[in-house]
Amino acid sequence: MQAEQQYSFQIVKWFAYMAVVYLVVGTGIGVYIASELAWPVLNFDNPYISFGRLRPLHTNAVIFAFGGSTLMATAYYIVQRTSGVRLWSDKLAWFTFWGWNLVIVGAIITLPLGLTQSKEYAELEWPIDILIAVVWLAYSFNFIMTLSIRKVSHIYVANWFFLAMMIMITYLHVVNSLSIPVSLWKSYSIFAGVQDAMIQWWWGHNAVGFFLTAGFLGIMYYFVPKQANRPIYSYRLSVIHFWALTFGYVWLGAHHLQYTALPDWTGSLGAAISLAMIIPSWGGAINGMFTLSGAWDKLRTDYILRFLIVSLAFYAMSTFEGPVMAAKTVNALSHYTDWTIGHVHAGALGWVAMVSIGAIYHMVERLWGTTIWSVKLVNLHFWMATIGTAVYITAMWVSGIMQGLMWRAYDDYGNLAYTFVESVAQMHPFYAMRAAGGLIFFLGGCIMLFNITVTIRKAVANESAKQAALVNANI
Amino acid sequence: MTKLREYFYTDWSAMTGADWFGLLLTVGVFIVMVVAYYWVLNPKNKESLESHRNMVLDEDKRNAEK
Repeated sequence: MQAEQQYSFQIVKWFAYMAVVYLVVGTGIGVYIASELAWPVLNFDNPYISFGRLRPLHTNAVIFAFGGSTLMATAYYIVQRTSGVRLWSDKLAWFTFWGWNLVIVGAIITLPLGLTQSKEYAELEWPIDILIAVVWLAYSFNFIMTLSIRKVSHIYVANWFFLAMMIMITYLHVVNSLSIPVSLWKSYSIFAGVQDAMIQWWWGHNAVGFFLTAGFLGIMYYFVPKQANRPIYSYRLSVIHFWALTFGYVWLGAHHLQYTALPDWTGSLGAAISLAMIIPSWGGAINGMFTLSGAWDKLRTDYILRFLIVSLAFYAMSTFEGPVMAAKTVNALSHYTDWTIGHVHAGALGWVAMVSIGAIYHMVERLWGTTIWSVKLVNLHFWMATIGTAVYITAMWVSGIMQGLMWRAYDDYGNLAYTFVESVAQMHPFYAMRAAGGLIFFLGGCIMLFNITVTIRKAVANESAKQAALVNANI
Repeated sequence: MTKLREYFYTDWSAMTGADWFGLLLTVGVFIVMVVAYYWVLNPKNKESLESHRNMVLDEDKRNAEK
């Protein structure tokens, strides 16, 4: 309780809890739309719940609602603890909480109505884009000001990653969202043609690189050593990881546009830097994993550490797979296929969600000064998350490679060997398998929500009972 | 060799102000990064940098809920 007075933890508690709620909501929508692809009857001829409208709602819910809430909870938690000071402004922090949730409500209303800019991961219309920019700037400003009043001379590396994310996402979001409004809910991008595509994927890949990677690496660099109770393997490696990642990531967007109207050299450059990025990414993953050197036995008993370390394995795997897919020869097969969806989910479920889940379980115990209600349920959640992710990505790998091979197959006379419809029919069992994998992951999220809700309720009840006993003793 | 020359051929006279700004910024940042790497990997700086390894564990002393 002393820490509660020393730091602003109320805001962290709310963001952490809402992150779990959004994990359930976002993956729930994901399971539904995956099922729509496998069994199209689930569209019910209703435009509001059709795949085209719910898909951006799914991506916005998991990336910005779940991921964003996790990033805000952890950044506010880490910056206070590593700086030894309270947040610079509680009011500004609460503004970010309500503002961010207002953005999410805006997405829930507008996307099913079909109000969209049609830019991937940037679908929301201009009034909501402006709100995102204002809230994001408030979040960044509060974080920077908290660092400026710190009582510790060194700024811990986790905060550097958060700072890189805040600066780059501000820059990327503002530039990519520049548009001319023609009505309250309709606008057109100021960019056109291939320039629009290039700006979009400069944003798109950096949403992955800075929002879904740099910020979550900040989480990794704090929670892995903390949970393992061991110092990070190499601080020098973390510094190199930071600068290489920050310098390298901004170049990668063009690899999304291989074999398009974009100049050929731009795609080659994007692919070359993508391949070079394996080095810092693996350096970071190894740095996290080697933190356990000499203490691997902790994985046998520490359920939170399992989430954190498995997330690093998925991080290493997807940061190898991504550059390989960026290479032109592989891209010729993989682009426009489900392999891309499999790759994205290896990163999103295996890396981002797993490291977030580990961090949230860690924080719930510390913030409410209790232990988790059911360790068995956490273990069950761990296995469901791992198996669900594995089933999902395996289905998409097989489906994607099969799709790519079918589309490029020719007969002896140079005619296409398969029609597009034939490739769609072949994908059905893998779409059903993907929905099953997603369902397993989603049910794991439901178990987490139940487990931490009970944990918090019990902790609050115990605290109330303690205070009542204290008051009675004083009477 | 000719092919390589062709591949890297640049019409410098066609470079706009934005092109030069981007080029100089990129090369500048790259040089700064090389200097940063040299500094980080210099054995002289190892001790001072690695002294921050324990920062996350040390902060428990300041924080009461542990």
